[in-house]
Amino acid sequence: MNSIIENGNQILDGIRAWADGVVAGVAAYLSNPIEFVEFYTFVVRWIFPILAAAIFFRCLLPLLRSGGANRIWGFLEIKDAYRIPIMHWENSIGRSKLSDIVINLPFVSRSHAVLSFGEKCWTITDLASKGGVRVNGETVDGSGSVEFGDSIAFATAEFQFLPAEEGYESLPRKSRWDWFSKLGRNLDSNKTFLLILAFQVLGGIQLYLTMGEAATVSVIETFLIFIAAECVYYFVLSRYGRKYRELELLIYFLCGLNLFVVASAKPGHLTKQLAAILLGMMVYAAIQLIIKDVGRGRKLKYLLVGCSVVLMVLNLTIGEARFGARNWINLGFITFQPMEFVKVAFVLAGTATLDKLLTARNLTAFIGFSGSCIGALILMRDLGTSVIFFGAFLVIAFMRSGDIRTIAFISAGAVLGAFAVVTFLPYIASRFQAWGHVWEFADTIGYQQTRTLIASASGGLLGVGGGNGYLVKVAASDTDLVFGILCEEWGLVVALAAVLIIVFLSVFTLFLMRGCKSSFYAISACGAVSIFMIQTALNVFGSLDILPLTGVTLPFVSNGGSSMVVCWALLSFIKAADERIRPGREEAESAAEGLTEGEGV
Amino acid sequence: MKLLTRRAFGLLVLTVLLAAGLLIFTVRYAVNASDWAQHPTNKHLYSEGRLKIAGILYDRNGTALLQTEDGEIKYNENKTVRRALLHVTGDSYGNIVTSIPVAYGDRLSGWDPVNGAYRFHDKVSGFGSDMTLTLDADLCTAAYNAMNGRKGTVGVYNYKTGEILCMVSLPSFDPENRPNVEASPEKYEGVYLNRLLSAAYTPGSVFKLVTAAAAIDRIPNLDTLTYHCEGKKLINGTEVTCPSAHGDVTLKEALAQSCNIYFAEISLELGGKTLQRYAENAGFNSRLTVDGIQTAAGKVDVSEAEGGDLAWAGIGQYSDTANPLSFMAYVGAIANDGVRVTPKLVKGKGLSSFLFGANLRQERILSRETAVKLGALMRNNVIEGYGEKNFKGLELCAKSGTAEVGGDKKPHSWFVGYLDREDCPLAFIVVVENGGSGSKVAGNVAAKVLKAAVERQTDGK
Repeated sequence: MNSIIENGNQILDGIRAWADGVVAGVAAYLSNPIEFVEFYTFVVRWIFPILAAAIFFRCLLPLLRSGGANRIWGFLEIKDAYRIPIMHWENSIGRSKLSDIVINLPFVSRSHAVLSFGEKCWTITDLASKGGVRVNGETVDGSGSVEFGDSIAFATAEFQFLPAEEGYESLPRKSRWDWFSKLGRNLDSNKTFLLILAFQVLGGIQLYLTMGEAATVSVIETFLIFIAAECVYYFVLSRYGRKYRELELLIYFLCGLNLFVVASAKPGHLTKQLAAILLGMMVYAAIQLIIKDVGRGRKLKYLLVGCSVVLMVLNLTIGEARFGARNWINLGFITFQPMEFVKVAFVLAGTATLDKLLTARNLTAFIGFSGSCIGALILMRDLGTSVIFFGAFLVIAFMRSGDIRTIAFISAGAVLGAFAVVTFLPYIASRFQAWGHVWEFADTIGYQQTRTLIASASGGLLGVGGGNGYLVKVAASDTDLVFGILCEEWGLVVALAAVLIIVFLSVFTLFLMRGCKSSFYAISACGAVSIFMIQTALNVFGSLDILPLTGVTLPFVSNGGSSMVVCWALLSFIKAADERIRPGREEAESAAEGLTEGEGV
Repeated sequence: MKLLTRRAFGLLVLTVLLAAGLLIFTVRYAVNASDWAQHPTNKHLYSEGRLKIAGILYDRNGTALLQTEDGEIKYNENKTVRRALLHVTGDSYGNIVTSIPVAYGDRLSGWDPVNGAYRFHDKVSGFGSDMTLTLDADLCTAAYNAMNGRKGTVGVYNYKTGEILCMVSLPSFDPENRPNVEASPEKYEGVYLNRLLSAAYTPGSVFKLVTAAAAIDRIPNLDTLTYHCEGKKLINGTEVTCPSAHGDVTLKEALAQSCNIYFAEISLELGGKTLQRYAENAGFNSRLTVDGIQTAAGKVDVSEAEGGDLAWAGIGQYSDTANPLSFMAYVGAIANDGVRVTPKLVKGKGLSSFLFGANLRQERILSRETAVKLGALMRNNVIEGYGEKNFKGLELCAKSGTAEVGGDKKPHSWFVGYLDREDCPLAFIVVVENGGSGSKVAGNVAAKVLKAAVERQTDGK
């Protein structure tokens, strides 16, 4: 009994203390006038994390709906028996379980043939099978074209090649992840887009209010043009595109954060950054149009590889050094980082169609190109970017060859090489020296990392409000320490959401793999996303002292024109791998009806 | 595409690594963010290495002990209060690591995991960052005065709620007029150490309370058992001495007269292993955590000791050391029927302390019967030994100690005990370094402090 009374008293004490605190607080606040911006920050800092989380999940769930290919391009039919749907533009055929079309008959080789579509016609390629491939009775030597209605025989197994009929365009698929797919089916992307716009408008106002003297009309203009561009692009996507729109929405969100960071750290760069975003969007659309056809994609590959060789040579001859690495070219009217653009060529250089991939296992050209890229980077003393290239090389090379021993061999060689580089270049070695004990070097070689950690802790979950941070004063914070700026000004929730979006890009790509039309898209998407992943890891973990600080950009978020354009270009490869067609309005409505009925019961 | 799906393994590895890295960061953030934010270069909180603004530190009666505004630190206006509470308020240079501004820098600075260093209108919120301690500044001052400049410590705490009312450590100085500590190393020996929390002294005879607890439990015919004391005895070639020849003594008499021979004999009877167990139960060889501040650990190592060593260990000499706060908590357990309430220093805000378990940590370290018997013996000590008239009306149960510290220095003077009163459930400890006789010197300090404590307690403060 006593304890209850005591507890009761304690509660009353607590309430009284709290009330006293509130009264005293209000009195203190009223004693000197409060500016509007303080109230504004006080309110909106709670809204940003909520919006960020909502945007993240509202984009994530629809994108992970109904995995795999949902479109059928034709059939292989055994007369009066059953037919096998052709789900891709490139299909491996054989006895192996890893074949896209499994024919489990003796005489059929494990990896027998590839049936592929390109340049507007279908081709069958014999993979040096024992039984051979015959089209309409004639043996195919290497590869030959097939048409709908032809009969194709793999050793003794004979099929008829038939076109897809109407109604097989978007096939519903059943899987054990259906429950997960259902989570996303009622999320309207228009509303998600509105949330993103709200985030950007509120954030823009917050920055404008805290910018002080730097707040000019051009800042408002920049944000308005950016938002207008988003709206136009979104409208075009909705009207003419048939794919899911959430991927672009996620990137809009990141680009918005990019403008926030730039406005806070380098207001003078806003116009340039806006131009880079707009250019990036255009490049994104253009590359998608070009690589819609795999043949054109291949031509683009040779063109870009050629260009990048020229760029690298230029860089090595007339390059300028900034922050220790000689990786800038100044053309008088514009400066850019050529190695950023080489990334696009690099990803394309690794691609191959399935028939090429399974017949010619030769990687020499790709290894040669990768080697020269990485060599050039070492000459430029750009350690971070060479790690990015090397990591992406491993991912692509493994996809090309599937041979883990070769890859392990290459890796071992590279580690030894890296060790030698680190030992011989004192500039790089000093970065490794601080790694893991930055607090002991808090004011020397650990300066950037400790300031990032301090800033991230100062922000808490909600942040101190855009434009109120101190990390922006640290050199290169708008590129290398950008995660710290996000944490400090916008809070841990928003910063983690930004990084998780990039992690999600990778999950999304893996999810798309199975449904890719062509291995060209599969490899380029994986290559692009692995560049994003390595760059993110080096940037974020470097600034947080989990990895050595190497000074690379955080995709879509760091300040930097070349980086922004190239990120959009790489994103187009991921987009191209997504073959799925978003459910039409009628379908979405019927799904919604189904749900309401279900609730009625 | 099945083939390529499988070969996208490399990308999967990268994804897992990136996710793992984020997890590492999140865990580090959860553990360390408070420390990162407290770095003196953090311009959100500090200017020129000093907190720009901080919450106010209050004692239990609402007396402000420490305030920070615009980088200026303000202590209590009374000089003696400042000296008495130096080890609580710290010296503004962070030298006293157990002081509240060091241990609770994050809370006082207004940093919290949700809001970070954000402050609305450049004010720390009083509700979030002000702190109220369980200490009574006036009682601390009384204790400081009673110590009369001698080195040592005084602690008083409520053995039912765990609230520490008095925590004083000497030497001390006025943080507002900082003396040149380095110039007089003798005078300011260990001044940055809060002796109640961080010291470990030879306990001397107060350790007999541990040996007695073991005896009560383990010796069957204890009531009739007597040992003969002639003032000294040779045990395995080591001489154990006693201040006087007590003749045949029972436990009751032996504890009241602090007979060394009796406790030496009974220690041999109990054996090293048993004594070790009881010492560890009593809190030796481990640290207490007082609201996140760790105490020093007392030390007893007798499991292998034999003969003379074991005999001396049983009377609190040999290699024994005791941490004052930890020993006070042991005495508190005797008072509280064997349940030790871990002392605490920060007064929980009514509502939150109720909701979040009131951070009251209790642990039974003695059986109820043993505690009651031991308590009766300690009461007898006062009546027979220390003189009830010196502690009138306190219902005092106590044990003194005069711990030899070697050399030609005077022994440390100890006095520990508790008030067996429902309205003032207080346990205390007094240590006067090189003070001489325990019951006289330390007992005298205790009498003054306890009288003040009871007065204040019964006044409703």
